[in-house]
Amino acid sequence: MDVNAFLDGFSLVTEPQNLLYCLIGVLIGMLIGVLPGLGPAATIAILLPITYSIDPVSAIIMLAGIYYGAQYGGTITSVLLRLPGEASSVVTVFDGFALAKQGKAGTALGIAAIGSFVGATVSILGLTLVAPLIAGWALNFGDPEYAALALLGVLLVATIGNGNKLKAMIAAALGLLLATVGRDSFSGAERFTFGSLQLTEGIDFVVVAMGLFGVGEILYNLEERHGKPHVPAAIANIWPSRKDLKQSSGAIGRGSLIGFVLGVLPGGGAVMSSLAAYATEKRISKHPERFGRGAIEGVAAPETANNAAATSSFIPLLTLGIPANASMAMLFGALLILGISPGPQLVEERPDLFWGVINSMYIGNLILLILSIPLVGIFVRILRVRPAILAPITALITILGVYTINNSTFDIFVMIVFGLIGYLMKKVGFEPGPMVLAFVLGSIVEDGFRRSMLIFDGDPTGFFTRPISGTILAAFVLVALWPAAKAILARRKTATVTPAPAERDDVDTPTR
Amino acid sequence: MRTTTRLLTATAGVAALALSACGVSNTTGGSGDGEEYPSGNVEMYVGASAGGSSDLISRAVSKGLSDELGASFPVINQEGANGALAANKVAKAKADGQTIAIQNASLFAITPLAVSEDEVTDLDDFDVVQGVSRDDYVMVTGPKSGFKTLDDIKAANKKITYGTTGVGTGAQLSCGLTYASADVEAEAVPFDGGAPALTAVLGNQVDTACIQVGEAIENIESGKLTPLSVFGPERVEYLPEVPTAKEQGLDVEVAQYRFMTVPKGTPDNVKDTIAEAMQATFKTEEYQAFNKQNSLTPMEISGDEVVAQLEEDKTRFADLVEQYGLDLGQG
Repeated sequence: MDVNAFLDGFSLVTEPQNLLYCLIGVLIGMLIGVLPGLGPAATIAILLPITYSIDPVSAIIMLAGIYYGAQYGGTITSVLLRLPGEASSVVTVFDGFALAKQGKAGTALGIAAIGSFVGATVSILGLTLVAPLIAGWALNFGDPEYAALALLGVLLVATIGNGNKLKAMIAAALGLLLATVGRDSFSGAERFTFGSLQLTEGIDFVVVAMGLFGVGEILYNLEERHGKPHVPAAIANIWPSRKDLKQSSGAIGRGSLIGFVLGVLPGGGAVMSSLAAYATEKRISKHPERFGRGAIEGVAAPETANNAAATSSFIPLLTLGIPANASMAMLFGALLILGISPGPQLVEERPDLFWGVINSMYIGNLILLILSIPLVGIFVRILRVRPAILAPITALITILGVYTINNSTFDIFVMIVFGLIGYLMKKVGFEPGPMVLAFVLGSIVEDGFRRSMLIFDGDPTGFFTRPISGTILAAFVLVALWPAAKAILARRKTATVTPAPAERDDVDTPTR
Repeated sequence: MRTTTRLLTATAGVAALALSACGVSNTTGGSGDGEEYPSGNVEMYVGASAGGSSDLISRAVSKGLSDELGASFPVINQEGANGALAANKVAKAKADGQTIAIQNASLFAITPLAVSEDEVTDLDDFDVVQGVSRDDYVMVTGPKSGFKTLDDIKAANKKITYGTTGVGTGAQLSCGLTYASADVEAEAVPFDGGAPALTAVLGNQVDTACIQVGEAIENIESGKLTPLSVFGPERVEYLPEVPTAKEQGLDVEVAQYRFMTVPKGTPDNVKDTIAEAMQATFKTEEYQAFNKQNSLTPMEISGDEVVAQLEEDKTRFADLVEQYGLDLGQG
C-alpha cells in the first residue's frame, strides 16, 4: 500500500466541495433506501447526467455515497413496516419487527445503525489494507463454490425459522420452485411462464418480498384489528441501552468479518452474509429460542454483515473491474462516462480516485451514523400512526416501489397475488422468511450446479476435489448432521449417568 | 442544492409515471400529424437494466437528443427476454415518434435461432431510423491456460470450455462458430451477462470466453487476459494487435450493433428529425469521447442500410448454424 497516495486521498476528501458531495450522496442514499423498489442502481442512473459537469472524483464520491447510504435506509422499513427492501434485509425482519411490536423499534434501529457503521468501517479498513491481495483470492471462488455455498444457505434457511420446522421446509421448497420460473438460462426453454413474455425473466425478488411480507401483513392486520380500538405501540427507548450494546457486541464483531469475506466475492454475497451471520448467532447463542421473538443480536448480526458486504463489494470493482451487483454495474458505467476505466490498473493510473473514493467512505459512514441518531427518533413515530392511515400508505409505498423496479404494471399484480399468499400463510402458521430466502438462493444453487457440471464435463466429483467447494460441502455435512450427533451424544450420556431429561426441542433433522 | 431539486423532480417523474400507468396512459402521445415534433417527453425504452452498455448508449443518445431537440427523452429500463419486452412497448405504441428505442441487432438476427417461434420479435413492427454503433466481441483466455493464439487451442487437442454472456447472444454465436469451424471440441458455459463470464475466465474457471471488448479491455491491457481473436469485419480500433477470425482463416463474422427504432408507420418528418438530431449528436466531442471510453465503433449508417445488414446477418447466421450443427437453444 502506498501511504502517500492514501494520505493524499484523505486531503482530497476533506476538501469542502467533496465533503458536500459526500453528504449529498449519503443523504439521497438513505432516503431512497427507505423507499422499497427505487434502488441505488436506478437512482445513480437518474443522477448520472448531473455528474457530467462536476469533477470525476467528487461525482464518484457522491454516487458511492448513494450506494452505501441506501444500505442504512433499508433497515428502517424492515423493522418498522416489515418491508424488506432488498434480499439482504430479509432476515432483519424476523427479530426487527418483533422488537418493534414490543415497543423497542428504537433499540433495533439504533443497534442496526451502530452495527452498520462498525461493519462498514471494518470493511473499509480491509479495503484499505488488503484489497489487491484478497481480490486475487476471490477469483478462485467459481460456480462450484457458489453452488455449495448457496446449498449451505438453503440448509440454514430451514433451521433459522422459529416455528414449525416442517412448515419452514415446505415454505422453502415452494420458494425453490418459484425460483425456476422464467427462461432457462442454459437452454432458452420457457419454464412456468404460461406463454407470458413478462415472466421470461423470472419473478423479481422485491415483488415476492413486498407481497409476502408487506401486503400480507397489511391484510392480516386489517382483519386482526377490525373493530378493535387502536392502541398506539408504546415507544419505550429511542436509543439502545448499555445492556443492549453489550449483548450485541459479539454479533457485530462476527457480522463484520462474515460480511467482509463474503462481500469480496465477485458474484456478490450480501444475501449470504446476512443469512450466515444470523445463523451463526443463533447457533452459538445460549438461548436460541429467543431468536425470531425479538433478539437484539438477530438485528445486529445481519445488519452489520450486509453493510460490511456492501462495502467490500467495491473490491472486485476497483481492483478487477468486475461489478458484483446492479449498483456496482451502474458505478462501473458512471466511471467509464467520466473517462475512468475500473480495472487492475486503476490504483496506479488514478490513485487520487481510488483513495479518494475509499477514504470518502470513512467519512460517509460517520455522517450516516450521526444522521441516524435524530432520524431514528423521528421514524419510530411512524408506529404511532393509526393502522387505518398507515395501511394505505404502506400499500401505496409497496405498489410504487414494485412499479419502479421494472416500470411494469404486471409486477404490481404479481405482488398482490403474493400478498394474498402471504396473508394465507400467516393465517395457517407458515413463515414467509424461508420461502423468500429459498427463492433467492434457489437460482444460485441451480445455475451454479449446472454451470459447474458443464465445467466439470459432467463429473460431480469435481465439487469435492476443489479445495473451497470441498470445505463448504464438509461444513454442510457437519451442520446437517450436528443436531443428530448432538442428540445421540446426549442420549448416550443420559443412559450412563443420569435419568433421561425431556427431549430437547431444538433437535432438527437434516434437511436432505 | 440544485442536485436535490433535480432528484425531487426525478422522483416526481417516477411518481407521475406510476400514476399514468394506473390508467391515464398515453398522455405523452401528441395530437399527431402536422404538429411540431417532439411534443412533450419522448419515452426511450431500453431492453436492459441500468448500467450495461445498451443502457449507457441509450443514455448518451438521450442526452444528445434532449440537447438538440429541446425536449426531455427519459430512458425507461424494461429488462427481459433479451430486449423483447422493450421492443413490444415500441411496437404497440402510437406511431408518432413519442415512444422510441435503440435496439440490439442480436434480438433480430441471433435470438430467433435460440427461442421458440412465437417469442421472436418481428423487424416488420418497426421503422429503423438510424444506425448507432458496433460493439465488438473478443475471445479471451487467462494466462494460466498457456494459450497465446487460436492455433495453440487447436493444437491442444482437448475439450475446451468457453464462457458466453448468455443463450442467444452474439458472444455465444461467435465463440461457438469459431470452435465449430476450427473443428475443436468445445462446451459452451452460459453466464448471466458479461461480468460473471469475465470473472470466470480471470479465475480460470473456463478456458476461454467471448465477451464485449469494453468489458475485457482493462484486463487485456494489464496482461491479465490474452486476446485470441475479434469477430468484426475488420480489426477493432481499440485492440489493433488482435487479428480477426477471418484473418485466421475462419469464416466467422459476428458483431453486436445498435440502431434507433420507432413504431411502424411513423411519419417521415418525425423520422428525419430524429435522424438529424442523432447525427448532430454523433458529431459532438462528448459523444465521441463516450464511444472511445466504451470501446464502441461508430456505425452511423442510415436506417435502410441497417435493415439490409440485419436481413443479411439473419440469413447468414441461420445458414452457418445449420452448416455446423450448432445448437444455440431449444430451436
